[in-house]
Amino acid sequence: MLEDVGFVGVEIGPPVDTFGGAEGEEKARQFEVYGHAFLARKP
Amino acid sequence: MSDVLPVDPVALREEVKAKYRAVAEEPDATFHFHTGRRNALGLGYPPDVVDAFPDVAVESFAGVGNPFELRELRPGERVADVGSGAGFDSFVAGRAVGPTGHVVGVDMTEEMLDKSRATAASLGYDHVEFREGLAESLPVEDGWADVVISNGVINLCADKRLAFDEIWRVLRSGGVLQFADIANGQPIPEGALKDIDLWTG
Repeated sequence: MLEDVGFVGVEIGPPVDTFGGAEGEEKARQFEVYGHAFLARKP
Repeated sequence: MSDVLPVDPVALREEVKAKYRAVAEEPDATFHFHTGRRNALGLGYPPDVVDAFPDVAVESFAGVGNPFELRELRPGERVADVGSGAGFDSFVAGRAVGPTGHVVGVDMTEEMLDKSRATAASLGYDHVEFREGLAESLPVEDGWADVVISNGVINLCADKRLAFDEIWRVLRSGGVLQFADIANGQPIPEGALKDIDLWTG
């Protein structure tokens, strides 16, 4: 979607276990939900 | 703007407001996500950055990643923070860009805005301000921002395309979007996508 909008140079950081140990962990594991950092530039 | 949305954006916003109102007012309560200093450190924020702020600035932090991980902010940059919550990422940005820079945090939850404004005043951060608004309709001028940051907010927007179009609008040419958010490795069933309760819990 970022590239569809027009952004370039999209980078995605490694996953972080956002919900590990939290109440939402079970649901997050079910759908393999992790946090990521994203970087993109407007040309 | 997307043609078909999985949920009613207005109803979703009310649900999100209710959740984050609680995070602002009862930061030590239990949520389905982590909050506060423990969360920030777990997500990879440097300890010296987290420790630079008093409890009130970080206790309601509910980010899902570190938007500063892939690029450091530079002194003098103008930064828009989409969904600024209680302001932690805006304060981190304000510390990085310094008094020659400027940070505009945007949030839709009154209790979060009250808290972030009070904390900015207590920190003496005159270059960090908070405005009421939506990710899909940012109260920021066209091309104002050198950088847009956000943390765990786009996933809560029913119309993500509209949110990204708004970010595009407020960024200057050559500007940078650096944000953190969640992504799923397994597809979410259509029924779950239409269940607003699952979006916020």
